[in-house]
Amino acid sequence: MNAAVTFVLDFSALTYRSLVAAVTPPYRLRDVIRQIDTVAVDSLLIIVFCVCAAAMVTILEASFHMKLLIQNDSMVPGFAAMLILRELGAVVMALLVTSRSGAGMAAEVGTMQVTEQIDAIKMLGLDPVRFIVAPRLIGCAIAGAILSLFANVICLLAAMGVSVIKLGYTAGTFSAMARPFISAQDLWFAVIKGTVFCAVIPLFSCFFGFRCQSGAEGVGMATTNAVVATSVAIIVLDFGLSFFFSTFY
Amino acid sequence: MNLLKAIGECVLFIREGTSVLMRHGVHRHEVFNQIWRVTSQSLPTTAVAGFFVGAVMTVQFTLQVKAYGALGYLGGLSTSGTVRQVGPLLIAFMLSGKVGAFTAAELGTMRVTEQIDAIRCLGANPFQEIIIPRVLAIIASSFALLSAGLLMSIFGGLLLAKVFAGINADEYLRHIPTLISWPSIALGLFKCLVFAVVLATICTFKGYNASGGARGVGRAVVETAVSTMVALVVADWGTSLLADALLVLLSSMIGRTA
Repeated sequence: MNAAVTFVLDFSALTYRSLVAAVTPPYRLRDVIRQIDTVAVDSLLIIVFCVCAAAMVTILEASFHMKLLIQNDSMVPGFAAMLILRELGAVVMALLVTSRSGAGMAAEVGTMQVTEQIDAIKMLGLDPVRFIVAPRLIGCAIAGAILSLFANVICLLAAMGVSVIKLGYTAGTFSAMARPFISAQDLWFAVIKGTVFCAVIPLFSCFFGFRCQSGAEGVGMATTNAVVATSVAIIVLDFGLSFFFSTFY
Repeated sequence: MNLLKAIGECVLFIREGTSVLMRHGVHRHEVFNQIWRVTSQSLPTTAVAGFFVGAVMTVQFTLQVKAYGALGYLGGLSTSGTVRQVGPLLIAFMLSGKVGAFTAAELGTMRVTEQIDAIRCLGANPFQEIIIPRVLAIIASSFALLSAGLLMSIFGGLLLAKVFAGINADEYLRHIPTLISWPSIALGLFKCLVFAVVLATICTFKGYNASGGARGVGRAVVETAVSTMVALVVADWGTSLLADALLVLLSSMIGRTA
């Protein structure tokens, strides 16, 4: 119980300090750009590939079952578009970024802690939160927006592709049948979701990295804890944000 | 060319592992140790992931069947839809980030700190001491975890159906047996097994072959995540094709006898 309260308080303190450090100068622009490069550019291809695969599987599955039940899969385009924009594009993307970049970030910060580089930063009179967390926070948030935009749009095209090839739609009928279910608003909500989810990743990674115990085992534990905490946080936030956005429809 | 080289090395790695397993057997105690470690640390993630997948599928199917007034079939639809394909793939993605990263980091650290060379120096076989117990344990516990995640997905669907569509548990559960069939469950579990094998092989292979200090360990972790994701997608397509072919074969055989 006590540990849980300490955890929540510590984490809130870190979140507050990094948000303050992120919005006040100096901004350390070079670090931010390097983060965007490693998180967004390097993993764009693999993440779009995996999100598209998940979406295609879901669509084929939905069509199979709708045909089984009501001999008719005419709702599938609308279903696919809504599924991708509301849930799949942002959440699966963020979960994949967590295991691709979040784990690496936690291991990196954990190694810094174990090899006393963080203490060295403090010794030099610098604030480790401003120095390490803030650039990662801004970089990951921007990368999340970029990845979410790409993942959603390409995923919609993949959904159209699989419907044309496997389900016998034409591109025209697919878009005509999907259109009533979605609006441009949905895409912006997905981008906001992607930004928020990806902003959570460096917070947890750095939090567990800073608390890392010494030794190789400690770095491993910090990495796992960071991935678990981030995944759970993303799913909880997704329920919260979906509920919040549903008031706008 | 690099891809072919990597696949070839991985095949040699598997061959080495199986031949050691055949010749020397396995430390049972160590396998159970590893099973406990993997399962206990990953159960919460898998449970949350399963819950999420079930909940999302239920919400999406509600939107579809509402227009046809077929809400009563919601339970069967979303459960069957989750168990056959979507559930195993998404939960395996989550699990790969968890188990894969941990194992690759651990083995990679052992490799770069020369602990694996030390085992060899002592005249023991690193495959027998660390690789085979881990592979077997990850296969066993990933399979169990994925199945547990699928069970959790039913629970998530149930809860969301109550909140979102106002369907009570009784009604939700009633149509699960009518729409889900044994082949669906078998396909879902077979996929879980294949994904478990893919996961276990890639993370141990990448970790065992790490090189170049702390950076090398980090690189091994990232490479594990990337190759596991691609391999999972390929395995998913492969098993689906196999299942389709099997179904066609079976139905043609039944057709001939009837």
